[in-house]
Amino acid sequence: MAVERDDVVGRPTGATTVQVERGPVTAFARAVTDGNPVYADLEAATAAGFDAIPAPPTFTFASLGWGAFAEEQPEDPTGGNNPMGEIMGGLMANGGLILHGEQEFTYHRPVVVGDTLHHEGEVVDLYTKESGDRTMTFLVIENRFTDDDGAPVVTERFNLIHRS
Amino acid sequence: MGTHPTPILAWDDLEVGAEAPAVSHKLGRTDLVQYAGASGDYNPMHTDEVAAQAAGLPSVFGHGMFSMGLLGRALTDWAGPGNLTNYKVRFTKQTWPGEVLTTSVVVTAKRDEDGRRLVDVDASLANQDGEVKVTGSATVVAA
Repeated sequence: MAVERDDVVGRPTGATTVQVERGPVTAFARAVTDGNPVYADLEAATAAGFDAIPAPPTFTFASLGWGAFAEEQPEDPTGGNNPMGEIMGGLMANGGLILHGEQEFTYHRPVVVGDTLHHEGEVVDLYTKESGDRTMTFLVIENRFTDDDGAPVVTERFNLIHRS
Repeated sequence: MGTHPTPILAWDDLEVGAEAPAVSHKLGRTDLVQYAGASGDYNPMHTDEVAAQAAGLPSVFGHGMFSMGLLGRALTDWAGPGNLTNYKVRFTKQTWPGEVLTTSVVVTAKRDEDGRRLVDVDASLANQDGEVKVTGSATVVAA
């Protein structure tokens, strides 16, 4: 492997400030076929015990593309050299396929409309497995979302698999 | 912000082996386009039939995260939105337009942790032929 595990674990993959807005949350719920009124209607949300409209369980995965406004973004911790692109791009230079293999969410509290989330991504593992005459390279990333008080909200962990 | 909602599952009534109501959905190309728009994932393998066939695929195929979202709906329909503490899956097969995807959620354990009544489940999504697309697990909060 071109990149060694010890060289990459702990490296940041990005930092993002995300605004959780009602329109994207409701559109996302509809897109996963979820018509539960709590995702669209504040009265339904408060009746269920929320203090604002909540987001569906997998929303944060999509949120980085929705509520990341240019003027609010922190400095890029990767220095413009994202290890995800470096590793997967390097492997793809020799062909192959990239797959999303696993995805995990740990919920510390519900994500709701009006939240400002502070995201930090980090490489947490890199390993290979031989499968027949193919090499599978597993890159594991953790995305941590905290609120304005620094309290954890959601922690995501996922892997990308390169299959040679 | 982000107060915890009221748990709706009755802990005392839940037994290991109990199943949540299944959710079924016939996957259409419109679902793929709608999920692309809502997620920002416009990979042409999900949205552009011409490009997908040029790449050697029979057609566009579904986003893995759509499958995880659909299975997540089965969890929140049952346990109530906001009542998940953990949800994880492995993507095992691609999904294709025309398939009928059905969820399966089965209780595997009940435990008390820090004063919260937690229920562990196995969760999976399969097509009309029983081919498993997504397999995983979750933990939900009960009352």
